[in-house]
Amino acid sequence: MTAASPSQNILSSREIRLHLLGLVLLLGFLGLWYWLSTGARAVPTLIELLKDDDPSTRIVAAEQLGHIGPAARRAVPLLVTQATQDGSQHANSTAASALKWIDLTAARGVMAYFLPHLHDPDVQQRRTACAVLGSLGPVAKPAVPALLAAARDADALVRRNALIALAAIGIPSPPIGVALLEGLRDSSSLVRQTAVAQWAFTVPLSQEAVAALTPALNDPDKSIATLAHTALDKPRAADAAHVGSLSMMLAHASARDYALHQLAQLGPAAGEALSPIASLLEDEHPLIRYLAVETIGGMGAAGQPALPGLRRHQDADPVVQAAVTEALRAMESAAAAAPSSKEASP
Amino acid sequence: MTGSLQDNSARLRMLARSGIWISLFGGLLLPWSIMLAVEILLRDVPLQRAWRSFTLHLFAPGYNLFLVGLLTALPFVILAASILFHLGTAPAHNVLIAYRRACGLFSAALLMALIAGWIHIDVLIHPDAQGALAYFYLPILLLMVLPLGYGLGRALAKLFLPRVPL
Repeated sequence: MTAASPSQNILSSREIRLHLLGLVLLLGFLGLWYWLSTGARAVPTLIELLKDDDPSTRIVAAEQLGHIGPAARRAVPLLVTQATQDGSQHANSTAASALKWIDLTAARGVMAYFLPHLHDPDVQQRRTACAVLGSLGPVAKPAVPALLAAARDADALVRRNALIALAAIGIPSPPIGVALLEGLRDSSSLVRQTAVAQWAFTVPLSQEAVAALTPALNDPDKSIATLAHTALDKPRAADAAHVGSLSMMLAHASARDYALHQLAQLGPAAGEALSPIASLLEDEHPLIRYLAVETIGGMGAAGQPALPGLRRHQDADPVVQAAVTEALRAMESAAAAAPSSKEASP
Repeated sequence: MTGSLQDNSARLRMLARSGIWISLFGGLLLPWSIMLAVEILLRDVPLQRAWRSFTLHLFAPGYNLFLVGLLTALPFVILAASILFHLGTAPAHNVLIAYRRACGLFSAALLMALIAGWIHIDVLIHPDAQGALAYFYLPILLLMVLPLGYGLGRALAKLFLPRVPL
């Protein structure tokens, strides 16, 4: 029997070892492929893709570069060109959105480029400007006054895009909240629906919003009524449990920017999460540091314990450093005003 | 008899070797082939454009078709290991045992491929917000199907293969 078969088993132990080696090599090859195609290593390939003729290729490349973050700094010039010069609005927005994760100064440059377009006689230019400014998120905070004006534009799509942009920027929340409440009474159902959707999915729900959204539950437009229902089911802005869960989300890299952006819109109510927010001043992403500074600055007196740390903070990013200076000024003037108001009250 | 035993043994050796690599590459390429096929055959996208879009989305956040392929391939790697250690270590002098094991493993592979194929096609044809969750549950489902398919194959082998040594 032994003579009849070259080995006692179907596969010899040597063959089994060789197959196992082949399996390990295949897994190693797949791991290497993934490693080479992701992170900073993919930047040169993605830069080439930004030059592609096909807009969808440029869009996906910009999205991936934004995901890579500051390590994709070499792509900034091409991303700025795509954000400002590309013929596709989606390509403009994705490039602008990527820039906010890579280089805040470049993102502010894109904002400065689009601000005058909000007054362009061409309605499409105004629509695009609103969309791109919104894709910059909270970095486009200086554009809020101009966007508040755009929210009263004669064109309904400009008003809609302006409301979406304001909700995406989120800070400072009081005037943005007022604009979104006005949007609920807009003559265009599209704008009203957009305003309700922002309360439902993007902006924390204030008491004024609850009062304004309650009648919308009976809106003849079913989609508006459904969105109002979704919005009113959300936890309220000052809900301690909600602040607690946002605070816990700060520990997770994938949810950090969302949680911080939500907290930044809560003002003093975010003070409960001060400690984890203050620790984000050392985050590797300038956008996260910027949001942390804005959140602490927006807390007013509740943010006072973070004041010494904020005074010591020297940020390499000029936009973050400027936000630190502004936050310090606001908090110090709030602290100075607090004793004088106490003295005045009795 | 010895010649027949040698033939059967050689056939089983070839079956084991090819089964291991077909499982590995088949598991990895199945979802990617289906994605391309759906684009080309159902959505009338030209091959070149479909291929370009596919390669572009392999590592794109929110798509990550590479990881979708890996997740589907994972149970097939386990299947390949089962073929290697279960069929590969079957005694060469008793090919009946080896054939029964081969039937079990082939049945498991077939069931796994059918389920994986059906789920991938369904997710692509009926896309919805939660559709991508199927990619995370699929490996678990396939890992549960592996022993079930094996048991079914062994039962069929017991019914239809001759009980006398081959």
